[in-house]
Amino acid sequence: MGRSDTLIFGCGPMGQEVAEQLIGRKLPVYLYSSDLDRVAEVLAKGFDAAVLDYTDDDKLRQVGIGEWVKVIFCLFPEEAKNVFLTLSARALDPDLKIICVSESPQSGQKLFAAGASKVIDPYEISGRKVHELIARPMIVDMLEHTVFGKHLDIAEIEIPSDSCLSGNPLSALDLGGRYNVVLMGVVDVEMSDSLIFSTSGVDHKLDAGDMLVVIGPALEITRLKGDLEEDRTAQLLGG
Amino acid sequence: MDNTHRLIQTSYKLKDSVRYRRAKNFFYDLLENPKARIRPYFDVFMILLVVSSVWVLIYDVRHDMGLFDDLFEWVAVTIFIIEYLLRFWIYNDSHKVILSHYERAEFINQPFHAWPALREVLAKKWEYMTQPLAIIDLLAIIPTYRPLRFLRIFLLFRLFKLFRYTRSISEFVKVLNEKRIELFTLFIFMAFITFTAATALFFFETDVADGKGVGSFFESIYWALVTMSTVGYGDITPHTTEGRVVTIILIIAGLGVISFFTSIIVSAFSEKMHEIRAQRVFSEVERKHIDLIVCGYGRVGQVVADQLALDQRQFVLVDPLENNVRLAKQKGYLAALGDAADSALLESLGITTQAKRLLCLTGDDVANVYITLSARQMNPEIEIISRANHRENVTKLRLAGADHTVAPYEIVGLIAAEYVGQPVAFEAIYGMLTGQNDVGIEAVRVRSGSVLDGRCMADIGFRQRKLIPFGVVREGGCPADGSSGTYEIEDRCFHFNPTPDFELQAGDLVVMFGHEYSVVHFRDCLERGTL
Repeated sequence: MGRSDTLIFGCGPMGQEVAEQLIGRKLPVYLYSSDLDRVAEVLAKGFDAAVLDYTDDDKLRQVGIGEWVKVIFCLFPEEAKNVFLTLSARALDPDLKIICVSESPQSGQKLFAAGASKVIDPYEISGRKVHELIARPMIVDMLEHTVFGKHLDIAEIEIPSDSCLSGNPLSALDLGGRYNVVLMGVVDVEMSDSLIFSTSGVDHKLDAGDMLVVIGPALEITRLKGDLEEDRTAQLLGG
Repeated sequence: MDNTHRLIQTSYKLKDSVRYRRAKNFFYDLLENPKARIRPYFDVFMILLVVSSVWVLIYDVRHDMGLFDDLFEWVAVTIFIIEYLLRFWIYNDSHKVILSHYERAEFINQPFHAWPALREVLAKKWEYMTQPLAIIDLLAIIPTYRPLRFLRIFLLFRLFKLFRYTRSISEFVKVLNEKRIELFTLFIFMAFITFTAATALFFFETDVADGKGVGSFFESIYWALVTMSTVGYGDITPHTTEGRVVTIILIIAGLGVISFFTSIIVSAFSEKMHEIRAQRVFSEVERKHIDLIVCGYGRVGQVVADQLALDQRQFVLVDPLENNVRLAKQKGYLAALGDAADSALLESLGITTQAKRLLCLTGDDVANVYITLSARQMNPEIEIISRANHRENVTKLRLAGADHTVAPYEIVGLIAAEYVGQPVAFEAIYGMLTGQNDVGIEAVRVRSGSVLDGRCMADIGFRQRKLIPFGVVREGGCPADGSSGTYEIEDRCFHFNPTPDFELQAGDLVVMFGHEYSVVHFRDCLERGTL
């Protein structure tokens, strides 16, 4: 099946917010909740939503968990429901991406233990953001208006298998001259998920399948992506 | 030149004199101003002086200390007199009274008479002298005067001087004062019982044989009080059956009075305790010049407080839940119990004086809007950062006067969307933006005349320093030619990824990514003026 739906469990404000963001990126999204009133509310707002008993594995299978669904969000306000759903979904599909919200560090650990791939703590993040606003207001302002304000995008670009970049060191790559982008670094997906910064002492050897992480205007990023795919990038290798 | 004229001239001279004003301010800070830093030292000194002078008085009863005693007494009294006169002086500005009279007379074109003005000056000073604390001060001095030595017992009034210097004693008096109706009722009840019992005893016990009876009505009052208070010395005891019956009734009534009295005091204190604690917090806020108020110690508030504490920043928390306040206190944060929507509370925390920032972080948007609005009205300058739990409330908070809003759900939405699209990049970058990695985003200001001023981006050598230039924030609007890579940020312009020939100016803010060591090294180089 060629579908790759995203399911959101929990139709509260957070569910709606996430759904809106995902729809904004043209991703197919379905909202589910066991609460009829909530479902009616989101349906009225124009989302695809349905009532679902998340405790029943068969029902979960029916909506595609373990089959074609790649990502689910557990956004119930109740911690226990999220843990239960995470456990059930993990049992059905070991490769599923399960993203949960947690209210506290302790519950985050429980969710990870239950099999969540990522736990978002909205309060932790908001708290840090408030602190940043106090400590470094200028930088936060700048980021608000650029990276989070849709002027600049953060993008990951995969190096194609037959690219002439592979085999060259990261330091040899000079994007800044030809594209109006900033190269943050590279992630070697085979090794780890962490970013190797382009300025860290480690001179990483580029390799097909590595992800280049860049920041820049959307147009420039598309141009870079296109050039990489068609392998017109030999000139990027400066000295 | 007549005296009236001279009086006015002197008054103007005093009004103009900086030295006079400075001296008066200094003594005001020393003696009266509760916020002054110097005041506590003076208070402690005076407490020590009072206590030691009373101790000398006690010691002197049995021992002869000779010259030392006199000398010490003399020094102490001199200090007391000086203090009294200084307080007398700083109580008000006499020259202002005279001048206001004079200026009023000038205004309505009437001749100025010195007497009414002087009378008002005297009246003001008399007002000071009749204050209870001023009377105590005076009584602490007078008995030293030789012909009035018999008043030595009044030297004990010096102990009452301690009221001035210690806050807890005055708080105690305040607590009692608040319960004065209850205490008055109790007093009436007690007086009634005492009087009845004393009369009855006097009636039954005067004519007892062997002269063991009650001698006078005063003795029977004394007996009634001793019995009622459950002290019971036993020097006067009833001998007749009637007298003993009166005693039984009096003892039972006495138990009631005592327990009533105890309960009044206890309840007064338990009611006041929270207020007294809050008072402590307020005075600490004032003393330490804490300019950051955090409303709400929920999940977001906790994270913010921890981060601020890591930065060693001073702040004060306000939360209406006792539990949250206790948690905050356990962590050693300064916290006040109360609803931040209460403008009196915000006032006490210095929102109109020293506060520079207010964070509204409660989980309730209605409360956040209300706090934001009232804070904005009380202080138009203050920076307000507010939490918006629902997207639609962001505009309301902005309207209410918030400078920044932080929306937890929106952040989750953003992260979620990015995570689904490109998990690798976002996770890495987000960690960096929120300062959870060693590598972070930093900004360096170009000062005029520094090595960066007037230099091209290419000459700075970011690469060798292991820094990635991200952009430059420049004051003023963006160039009108619409060149790519410039973005308006309010009244500033952000140049993204500046070209190598981009020339820096004084006032620019260079934003870069890099390891914290690299940034520190870069800053260090700038300080030393070598690139």
